[in-house]
Amino acid sequence: MKLSLKWLSSFMDISDLSVEQIVDQMVKCGFEVEEIIRLSQGSDLIVGKVIECRNHPDSDHLHVTKVDIGSQVLDIVCGAPNCREGLKVIVAQVGAKLPGGEIKASTIRGQASNGMLCSLKELGVDENLLPEDSCSHNGIEELDDRFEIGDTDILNKLGYDDTILDVSVYANRPDCLSMFAMAKEMGAILDRKVTLPEYKGKANIGEKSSFKLTSESENCPHFLAKVVNHVEIKESPEWMKQHLRANGVKCINNLVDISNYVMLETGQPLHFYDLRSNPAMEITVRDDFDGTYTALDGVEYKIEKGDLMITSEGKPIGIAGIMGGDNTKILDDTSSLIIEAALFDHAQIRRTANRLGLQTEAAARFSKGLEPLSQNKAVDRAAQLLIELADARDFEETVEYGKPDYQPYQIRESLSHLNALIGKNYTMEEATDVLRRLDFTYTCDQNDFYVDIPSYRSVDLKIPEDIDEEIVRLTDFDDLESTLPLMPQTIGKLSRMQSMRRIIRDTLTNHGMYDTVNYTLVSDKYINDAVLPKGEAVELVSPLSDSRRYVRTSLMNSLLEALSYNLAHYNENVSLFEISKVYAKDIEEERLGIIMQGNLIENKVKHLTVTSDFYVMKGILMQILSMLGFEMGRITLKENDLDTVHFHPYQSAVLYLGNEVLCIFGKLHPNYTKTFKLDDVCYAEMMLSVLEEANPAKVKAPVLSRYPSVSRDISLLLNEDIKAGDILAEIRKAGGKLVKKAEVFDIYQGEHIDAGFKSVSLNIVYEDKDKTLKTEEVNEIHDRVLNQLLSHFKAIQR
Amino acid sequence: MLDLELLKNEALKAISEADSRTLEELRIEYLSKKGKIQGLMAQMRELSAEEKPKFGQMVNDLKNAVSAAIDEKKEKLDKELLNERLKAEKIDITLDGYVPKTGTMHPLTLVQKELEDVFIGMGYNVAEGPEVETDLYNFTRANTPEGHPARDMQDTFYVDPTHLLRSQTTAIQMRVLEKEAGNLPIKVICPGKVYRRDDDDATHSHQFMQCEGLVIGESITVADLKGTLELMIRELFSKEAHIRFRPSYFPFTEPSFEVDMTCHICGGKGCPTCKGTGWIEILGSGMVHPNVLEMAGIDSKKYTGFAFGAGIERIAMLKYGITDIRDLYTNDIRFLEGFKR
Repeated sequence: MKLSLKWLSSFMDISDLSVEQIVDQMVKCGFEVEEIIRLSQGSDLIVGKVIECRNHPDSDHLHVTKVDIGSQVLDIVCGAPNCREGLKVIVAQVGAKLPGGEIKASTIRGQASNGMLCSLKELGVDENLLPEDSCSHNGIEELDDRFEIGDTDILNKLGYDDTILDVSVYANRPDCLSMFAMAKEMGAILDRKVTLPEYKGKANIGEKSSFKLTSESENCPHFLAKVVNHVEIKESPEWMKQHLRANGVKCINNLVDISNYVMLETGQPLHFYDLRSNPAMEITVRDDFDGTYTALDGVEYKIEKGDLMITSEGKPIGIAGIMGGDNTKILDDTSSLIIEAALFDHAQIRRTANRLGLQTEAAARFSKGLEPLSQNKAVDRAAQLLIELADARDFEETVEYGKPDYQPYQIRESLSHLNALIGKNYTMEEATDVLRRLDFTYTCDQNDFYVDIPSYRSVDLKIPEDIDEEIVRLTDFDDLESTLPLMPQTIGKLSRMQSMRRIIRDTLTNHGMYDTVNYTLVSDKYINDAVLPKGEAVELVSPLSDSRRYVRTSLMNSLLEALSYNLAHYNENVSLFEISKVYAKDIEEERLGIIMQGNLIENKVKHLTVTSDFYVMKGILMQILSMLGFEMGRITLKENDLDTVHFHPYQSAVLYLGNEVLCIFGKLHPNYTKTFKLDDVCYAEMMLSVLEEANPAKVKAPVLSRYPSVSRDISLLLNEDIKAGDILAEIRKAGGKLVKKAEVFDIYQGEHIDAGFKSVSLNIVYEDKDKTLKTEEVNEIHDRVLNQLLSHFKAIQR
Repeated sequence: MLDLELLKNEALKAISEADSRTLEELRIEYLSKKGKIQGLMAQMRELSAEEKPKFGQMVNDLKNAVSAAIDEKKEKLDKELLNERLKAEKIDITLDGYVPKTGTMHPLTLVQKELEDVFIGMGYNVAEGPEVETDLYNFTRANTPEGHPARDMQDTFYVDPTHLLRSQTTAIQMRVLEKEAGNLPIKVICPGKVYRRDDDDATHSHQFMQCEGLVIGESITVADLKGTLELMIRELFSKEAHIRFRPSYFPFTEPSFEVDMTCHICGGKGCPTCKGTGWIEILGSGMVHPNVLEMAGIDSKKYTGFAFGAGIERIAMLKYGITDIRDLYTNDIRFLEGFKR
């Protein structure tokens, strides 16, 4: 909303307030001022007359002038092509401050120049706000007879002394898009008496009309039309042109200007049709048109069923609420017209305007919603202005389709409810003073007040709390106390999943990995290349771009992209992870993705290098699981037969919890990673939702043995396909509960070992919780274990 | 008698000149059973009964003196030896230390965690909800029915006519209200990702995070909202921070407020960050609209409540001085490295 302070001051006295004071009050009352626009700026301006003008001896375009400003005659060099003797001009005297800087006495190519002759553009006037025939477009402004030599009240007389506030209006206050309602609001904010023009009932004149008006769409419930059989087209008065210009509206002629002006005043978009273009004397609103239509701007628009169209004799004559048609518009010789004021459904207008990309002033107002009585108000005001400014006569009576949907109503609020909600002690005087400032009619008794809601506030004032907001908004609120809710004590804590996330993040960052947040929306390429997706990807109806069309079904590609970005930016040894939900149609799942490249640890001081590979990933996963309360015994590790497209078929595995897939991990397939220009990348994707549903082990204090343990080593030569896990399982089977620990500490293939075989060295620790194991006992059990391994794996002891 | 004095001087001289190897030899030479001092005892026989004890005493004194001298010397030598060893172990303390490699939490995680901890401390729970949401929870229940002008305020990603990517964490609040309607009071915060049809630039992101808060109970007031938010801001930014309310509009609260906090850079004096005002807009808030309570099945005559919502990116950007929101989504470890604590 563009709020002209000059226009505003025609409704109330604000002469004692600075622009800053006004803006400050508005902000406090809930109106943000995006920009303060001064239509023109310039100090030390005076009217002068060019009494001599000759060409500069050393220039082909400069003029050397003598300018009479009353008190003295100034020498001024001027470059404007229209500079000539006899002109009355705006002189910026030495010391004048203009938007472009300060004017100083100078010498231009040898000629003294003590001031500047100005174009309005040099005084900061926006080119678009200049009348089309203004000299200021290409030269200095030429002043007319209203101006006397020595006159200093120039910008005011020209109508450019205005300040415009660009006010952002919340969606619940569409009334503030109307100057009249905004004036009421400003009256409340600044506590000023507001005087609006009297125009009620001004359209209640005219002879019986034969004009026919119907709507065939429920999205046009109310429509007014009024035929005016005589108008005289001419130029609008200066004050109207100034207000229109201040709002960025082009001035055309009095008729078009009135329709725009009434829209600015009342918020109701109006349309004037040349009566000659409607010989049938009939308008029907329809929403079943399907085809193309050329609007006032000469552009052909594609209209679909549902779009509201104004038609006559079955043919469209305007896109309802958005833009009129070329064939029915006001022309230079218009002498009679039809006033149209209608209510169109705001959602429908918004849909159509958005689709057509036609954001007109009218569409903006319809989209945001109109006050229920604005059609009648606008026709009244238009009739009044047409009589005053266009010598309108021979009116026909107003033709109405439908009725405005409005019944006057009251809101009852009590002081006790107000104070209980806000936590403050308003008195009845304080509360009702706000209602007075708003110019609302109200009555009150001991505790309650009853407020009549004016039609223009019926959009946002519906319940007692709405009245409370008015009171809070328009009184000083900075003294509100700070208290805390008085309520039963509650225990706040993290949910299981929330704690799990924290444990995982702590663990992984402590291992040198970085927590990342990636975009949820991805391209179709990533959807087709997901890891263990749970179903069909969710697709957006209208994405911003193809690269953000789908909701990701796995985290892998996001992390690959982040890794690739890091490597491209000279980061090395990058390990990243992300915890996020992923989606498929009707499915939500929380996942953990871990990606590792290079060395997880690379410490030159200690000559320590841990290269990220399958085993590092496996170990880290196991550690996370154990920290979350899932010990190895509950997890099953299997060969990866789920996804060998993205994973290395021989260096990847799948973890199961019960029968559910918990995690897939390992080295990524080089064929796949090469599309990211990556090689040798390890990745894991874990289904945290699976863990969330399972019970973690209870924490139990370990029972320590009082007796010593005995350590023995074994070296075996066996077939290279035999897995370490199977050997260890066999040791536990043979050794029973006396085996406290068994692990592989070396695997060797190469010299001295036949092809197809490997040497495996194992360490076994025996311990009995109840007694000290004697050497003979250890020997016996160790022999049993050894023999079992030798026979079971056809191994040879080395 | 002279022998004794002679022997003592000879022994003490030898001890003082000894090194750790010869010192052991001296101990044997003088103090062993066949040593020189013990050898003096042979003279006893030639002495009278009167002289014998006296002589014995003298030999004993000599023995003690030599033994003490040897012990003293040994201690001295050991100390020298240790000092030499330590000296030989001298290192260059200016060489780099072993820094265990650690990663970092993402700044958005850090802010979310901080918010969670502040509110858990005040007895709140942390609620979550689906990001692929229904129109119902995202808008309708939040007092924003179909065709409501406020739906314009947010351009939403729809996935079908009734489902969308949630555009505000208000959707979580609406689910909590419905679920807990029979189990009041409610004290929750609702952090999560939200999505809007904005082109990405330095200050806009089609994906960002919000954290909303919701308290429903009997006689909850705007003053309670102010007190709660003041605590939060003071924990997050500065113990000296103040807040102020500016009237605003959200469909699901009435009255509604924008909340400004004292600029944490200048402490309210005015600086470029706060554009000279001393205040920084930090979140939106208000009293839960009675329609919202009623739609969730809560008696709005009996219960009131407040709600607030802050942008996690905004807090992170203010707190850590981040100037481009996209930095939060590129995951460059050089950037992430800055958030070690």
